[in-house]
Amino acid sequence: MSNLSGRRVDRPAIIVGVVLLAAAAVVAYDANNIHAGFTYGISPSAVPFVIAAFLAVLGVGHFVAAFKEGLPTPDEADWGAVGLMSAGLFGLIASIAFGGGFILGSTILFALTARSFGRKALIADIAIGFVLGLFIYILFNRLLGLGLPSGRIERGVLIGLDGVVGWVSGLFGSSAQ
Amino acid sequence: MDSLLALGSGFLVALEPINLLFAAIGVVLGTAVGVLPGIGPALTVALLLPVTFRLDPGGSIIMFAGIYYGGMYGGSTTAILLNTPGESASVVTALEGNKMARAGRGGPALATAAIGSFVAGTLATIGLAFLAPWLVRVAVNFGPWDYFALMVLAFVTVSATFGSSPLRGLTSLAFGLVLGVIGIDQLTGKARLTFGVPELLDGIEVTTLAVGLFAIGEAIYVVSRHLHAPEKPIPVKGSLWMTKEDWKRSWKPWLRGFGFGFPIGALPAGGAEIPTFLSYTTERRLSKHPEEFGRGAIEGVAGPEAANNASAAGTLVPLLTLGLPTSATAAILLAGFQQYGLQPGPLLFAQAPDVVWGLIASLFIANTMLIILNLPLIGIWVRLLAVPLPWLYAGILVFAAMGTIAANPSPVELIMLVIFGFIGFLMRRYDYPIAPAVVGLILGPMADNQLRRALQISLGDPMILLENPGSATLLAIAALALILPFATKQLRKFKAEED
Amino acid sequence: MFKSFGRWVAAGVVCSLLGAGGLASVSGAALAQAQLQEMKITAPAAAGGGWDSTARALQQAMTEAGVVTSVQVVNVPGAAGTVGLAQFVNEARGRGDQLLVSGFVMVGGILTNGSPVTLDQVTPIARLTGEPLVIVVPKDSPIQSVQDLSAAIKQDVASATWAGGSAGGADHILAGLFTQAAGGDASKVNYVAFSGGGEALAAMLGGRVTAGVSGYSEFEGQIQSGELRALAISTAERLPNVDVPTLKEQGVDIDVVNWRGVMAGPDLSDEDKQKLSAAVETTVKSPQWQELLKARGWTDFYQPADEFAGFLKEENTRIEGILKTIGLVQ
Repeated sequence: MSNLSGRRVDRPAIIVGVVLLAAAAVVAYDANNIHAGFTYGISPSAVPFVIAAFLAVLGVGHFVAAFKEGLPTPDEADWGAVGLMSAGLFGLIASIAFGGGFILGSTILFALTARSFGRKALIADIAIGFVLGLFIYILFNRLLGLGLPSGRIERGVLIGLDGVVGWVSGLFGSSAQ
Repeated sequence: MDSLLALGSGFLVALEPINLLFAAIGVVLGTAVGVLPGIGPALTVALLLPVTFRLDPGGSIIMFAGIYYGGMYGGSTTAILLNTPGESASVVTALEGNKMARAGRGGPALATAAIGSFVAGTLATIGLAFLAPWLVRVAVNFGPWDYFALMVLAFVTVSATFGSSPLRGLTSLAFGLVLGVIGIDQLTGKARLTFGVPELLDGIEVTTLAVGLFAIGEAIYVVSRHLHAPEKPIPVKGSLWMTKEDWKRSWKPWLRGFGFGFPIGALPAGGAEIPTFLSYTTERRLSKHPEEFGRGAIEGVAGPEAANNASAAGTLVPLLTLGLPTSATAAILLAGFQQYGLQPGPLLFAQAPDVVWGLIASLFIANTMLIILNLPLIGIWVRLLAVPLPWLYAGILVFAAMGTIAANPSPVELIMLVIFGFIGFLMRRYDYPIAPAVVGLILGPMADNQLRRALQISLGDPMILLENPGSATLLAIAALALILPFATKQLRKFKAEED
Repeated sequence: MFKSFGRWVAAGVVCSLLGAGGLASVSGAALAQAQLQEMKITAPAAAGGGWDSTARALQQAMTEAGVVTSVQVVNVPGAAGTVGLAQFVNEARGRGDQLLVSGFVMVGGILTNGSPVTLDQVTPIARLTGEPLVIVVPKDSPIQSVQDLSAAIKQDVASATWAGGSAGGADHILAGLFTQAAGGDASKVNYVAFSGGGEALAAMLGGRVTAGVSGYSEFEGQIQSGELRALAISTAERLPNVDVPTLKEQGVDIDVVNWRGVMAGPDLSDEDKQKLSAAVETTVKSPQWQELLKARGWTDFYQPADEFAGFLKEENTRIEGILKTIGLVQ
């Protein structure tokens, strides 16, 4: 702040400002495309227009801030770790989207997240993630009647579960008679 | 006095050993399912309702009361411990509660939430027993213009969650408002900001945004700093139990929380979120330790949790007296009543007084059982934070994903969750407050709809907002709340100059 | 046989864990005549909603009546059921073991949302239940009859405000049809949409609107207590034990029912269609289903596959017409 002529422009603040102006444009464009649909009172596009104006003001506010105090300087980040955790999250999405099922997805997510925090025992974490996913899946599917996304593993689990319960019930059945 | 007698006989029914057993089962089931993130009270009740059908009406209603209150309790536990609010009404609880838990004060946070819920729940149940017919008459006369004014008031008070910079606070709020526009407009059926994606037509789920911004965003933020500034939550520091100081700081917020929660919960479109916002702001303004807010102030847990539970009982006022289901949970409760052959409504108190009073008595009993069940559990819950960091966050992510897809098993919902997670991470990095975004998503569409309803009924005349005493008063309070902080600041400055 | 018995005991163990022993109370005799082994029912709504409760009731009745050995309910919520419909059309193509719960609201939703997937692509199996709508006015209203309401609408369509559920839903459509029949301009109907029967009811009780529309069961308590005056019921025939005249009785030729039914996937073989229709028919005629209808206050509105297909076509044309008039569909 001491050197007025060569003062630094805060880049993150400029980026947020641009994003806000772009968002304002999108919201206004979309609101402009809502045709009629109302007869009394105000249009469904009225509030979106107000929000668009609000966004634009905030965008300009960020530009002003960029030349003044800017945004707070963030701490140094470990992008490798962030990347690993992101890979875990995308792995989950991919597993659900392409039919891998919930258990596989949560195993990937658990193992990669644990690794992103610096754990090296990948096999152990895969095992924990699998057991956790299995437990949740059975809990939801059997006790709550909520079907979590299923893939091959899940179908195998249900068949296996039926077999075990059938075997146990067979024991009970014979002892009862 | 008739009510007292009737309540007494209700207790006689509810205190039969077999009914006590049903209440206990209901409470345990409700807590167990309600504690799962993403499964709010509405889904809890919906899932467990069939369990009660096989009992006789008396027993099933009693078990049902246990499930209802149990589900309400469960929601706050994950918000405090894992920063993963299970329902929108627990978002505010997570703000201070999770900060407390990380600082080793998870025990007192859970305790003040549990006791606050008990106190407010009990008071609200008393209110339900004795004030319901009177309160409901006021509630029904609340028009769209009054609701709009209430939303304006809530908007004004949101500034308490803005943190250090109004610019960043307002930007966060605007983010939530934009998300609130997405989806089919309820009043006209027009799609707004959906870009042809059918999954967006129903709008953005509040819990998806909250879990994404809070839980996932934080996990990414913590791992990004793990190498350079590792953070370790402390399971227990100091007393596991509330200290004398904690009690002193909690009891007034509990009562005020009840004061916000019960009447607003009784309003047909009041909801459980607005009272928690109002309670948080009030506690922040009134606190003797305002500097602790944002870092784990116990008042910020005590008040909103009490408000949250009082509003749950408030919802029963229009439900029992008018048959008006005013929340998703209440709609499922109504379905439950009908299943037992009861038609809630103006005639219920006259036609089936034993059932109504039995229900109210079992609400008292369920509430008491919950506190007996939950206080000893606190010691176990806080141990969750002793789990090694890699597993703790891996588990949080798996549970957050589970909650999201249990409610809506679609990859699109998960993609949104993860996107919100990254946005939450960036917001944390550049010190944008998180809560205003969630508030904007909740309040924005409500305010938009109520304003348009008001103007539709008045055929476009905006004076309707000022002509009605209710809305005029609320708008005046909102204006005061907006101006007062500035005015007092100026006054102080003026006085300081004078000295 | 052993395996399916095991499944039942598994379900029994699980249910009794939950205390819901009844779910598994299937007799060995019923099991022996099960027509289908497995079935998946898609409820295109979140757990707890109307379509979900229909799906779960069907699940219960099908297993208890021994028609299907194991039924799974999957919730795919979103956009008046059109998200679930789109997914169903993909997954259930040619499958004889999948059903989708559908209804009046989905017909409107497809039109208003401009959904690329329509009900033409699925195979109608049966209409199951129907909920009559009711037109009410607050008790202090000067309007005493359907004629009074028609007159008020004819005089000034703008100030005759309606309260009901979401825009484009059954309530809105009835308000539009009524306005049209009363000789008012239906494109100018002043319909205030609320987020459900509860809020609309509050607006009615507060006397802020002229008339209200909702499912009969939602207003039943208020009608009985006299807080609301029921002017007419929307079905062709009166409800049993309910003293509210129909619209047709009062010279207004409108008949609207908020029906629900089940569909199967596209490209179904005739054999699979027969099997599914037979399974649903056996279920609907079972005492278990009748008991469920009674417990939930639903009206039996059963119609077998072929008649239902014809009904669906007519319904689509009619709903499209009124939605265009109201201005919800271009």
